[in-house]
Amino acid sequence: MILTLLSHQWKSFWRGRNAARSLVTQIFMGLVIAYLLASMLFLGLATGHILQKIFPGQDTVRIFCGLVLYYFFIDIILRFAMQELPVLTIVPYLGQNIRRRQMVGFLNIRSLFHFLNLMPLLFFVPFACTDMVEHSGKLAAAAFITALIFIILFNNFLILYIKRRTLINAWWLVGFAVAVIGFILLDFFHIISLRSWSSNLFMAILAKPILVIIPVVLGLAAWFNNYKFLLTNLYLDEGAQSEKEKSSRDYSWLQQLGLTGELIALEIKLMLRNKRPKYLLRFSLLFMFYGFIFYNKKYLSDPSMYLVFFFPALFLTGIFIINYGQFLFAWHSSYFDGLMASNVSIPAFIRSKFMLYNAISTTIFIITSFYGLITWKILIIQTAGFLYNIGINSVISIYLATYSYKAIDLTRNATFNYQGIGTVQWVYALVILIIPYAIYFPLAKFVSPWAACAAISGLGLISLLMQSYWVEVLTREFRKRKYLMLAGFREK
Amino acid sequence: MITITNIIKSYNGNTVVNVPQLEVATGEIVGLVGNNGAGKTTLVRLILDLIRADKGEALSKEKNVATSEDWKNYTAAYLDEGFLINYLTPEEYFYFVGKLHKLSRVDVDEFLQRFEAFFDGSILNSGKYIRDLSKGNQFKVGIAACLLQKPELLILDEPFANLDPSSQMRLIRMLKELPAQSRMTVFISSHDLNHVTDVCHRILLMEKGRIIKDIDTTADTLQELEMYFEV
Repeated sequence: MILTLLSHQWKSFWRGRNAARSLVTQIFMGLVIAYLLASMLFLGLATGHILQKIFPGQDTVRIFCGLVLYYFFIDIILRFAMQELPVLTIVPYLGQNIRRRQMVGFLNIRSLFHFLNLMPLLFFVPFACTDMVEHSGKLAAAAFITALIFIILFNNFLILYIKRRTLINAWWLVGFAVAVIGFILLDFFHIISLRSWSSNLFMAILAKPILVIIPVVLGLAAWFNNYKFLLTNLYLDEGAQSEKEKSSRDYSWLQQLGLTGELIALEIKLMLRNKRPKYLLRFSLLFMFYGFIFYNKKYLSDPSMYLVFFFPALFLTGIFIINYGQFLFAWHSSYFDGLMASNVSIPAFIRSKFMLYNAISTTIFIITSFYGLITWKILIIQTAGFLYNIGINSVISIYLATYSYKAIDLTRNATFNYQGIGTVQWVYALVILIIPYAIYFPLAKFVSPWAACAAISGLGLISLLMQSYWVEVLTREFRKRKYLMLAGFREK
Repeated sequence: MITITNIIKSYNGNTVVNVPQLEVATGEIVGLVGNNGAGKTTLVRLILDLIRADKGEALSKEKNVATSEDWKNYTAAYLDEGFLINYLTPEEYFYFVGKLHKLSRVDVDEFLQRFEAFFDGSILNSGKYIRDLSKGNQFKVGIAACLLQKPELLILDEPFANLDPSSQMRLIRMLKELPAQSRMTVFISSHDLNHVTDVCHRILLMEKGRIIKDIDTTADTLQELEMYFEV
């Protein structure tokens, strides 16, 4: 029975609208996925040599073991952002003669078909099969791989459980976020060491393969927990979403801004109430932690790194413009007809987009200023990135958005959803990140990073002061392509 | 109110709208009839500046709709669900539309009281987003939002199609009463010959993009139209 259900899934994947969209996109996606998998595999094969190069004379297996839990920690965060609950898929079966236990079993197995479940195997198994076998023997390596598999299961089912819980009660989300951030901070300030936990655990498993029982029990427990929860809540997580009373909300602080405020309030609701933008928003928030990769003591003391730091600064402060802006008008595609026939003038519409960018980017800038606690230098680079983003990238983003004619279905899942992506989106990413870097880099290299920051900030500020002029220009551009957008968005 | 001159729109060589001359006076209620593909919706979209005419122009109060945005102040339209912001609750949508026409919440609430019977208790405070409403109820939201704007020009596409019989009757009554009170100009396209001849003063019959008949409604109009559509 479960096999039949799985075969239906296979069909739905290939016959879905998204899949049939265009052969070129499909081939491209296939290549991207193949590339990702191949580079994982390659990295996995090369790990031994790389570790030997970086830590000559040290025990590579021990260092390797220290990395494993880090990987799985990041894996948890990624899963939370990317893994979808395979829920809707069972609706057509609920009325059929299929036992609930089979249905739950199907849901659990279905959830395993995810590239996040494959990645760690590609990455870790080659090392286990080579260096580890040499180091501690075949049995130990087998135990290590078994441990990996069960930790994957553990993560998979733990996250599914937590996500289902958060659907019913939002406090679970808060709890999860606090736990993750707490963990990151504790590890970052060396209060705990995930690395030594990791190497202790896996070295112990290598020494005494029988200890593999620990991850096995954990994995099975997570599976069982999820199974039991689903069995009693098979309808509930579907119901929790649709039966919850939707209440009207008004943001009275925005009302003072008049029409612009009203349009921003609309935009906020758009982001909070629809699957795809909500996912982007969550992703953007997650990316705020991206700075931890770059801004650490080792890099900060290296002057040549200041050539590179501008990149994370630009990215962090512009994350909203970069992500949300690529579909700036397309987000409204389902009611663009109505919007264009309503009493919203085009300049007011464009002005509201600028206000939205200014407001959200400023908020992100203030939040990410906590990186300034590490050193004030980061604050300066981020200020430059911030000013450039709200001054110039905002204009570029709105301009390029007028060339995007593909409709977006707000309610569709977001992971690997390439609906609405066209040439414009690729150009967009390039222009927004590369132009400022092309200005920054030569100045930073041949004069000084601070001169480069000053120049970038200056450009951003000047453009920011010209915003009302930009509104005029962009209104003209918008008018030129308004009918193309309307026609494109009508085509679902 | 509306003047159309020499307007032509074609897609891939097929002319979908070709109207050399059309005049709609203030206060008129005009019905647009014709089979699928006759160009009704396209004509309406041209008037709302949602598509660009290949040739000619549509004027609203003597101003070209494609170059001036003044018409937005006094025009309300509901063509399909593409006019509703589907992730808002009906109330939020009404307040939003009200705000665009400088109506306070109190004004909006007061206005909506008149729609209690029309809404039949399934729209306000329903705890649903517009996207979760049935098609008929979405239509009611769209129509109410139009009337809320107290428009001088009201444009509706197939307003009777998705409504239940009682709501159709109520809508007909509203469409008859409102223009009389406020000299509202109404433009309706419909397949329902009964209703459209009942409500409209004037009927435009479209075929392959052209207006082939322009009739002032009399007792015989319904029969005349039925003759035309007879297969």
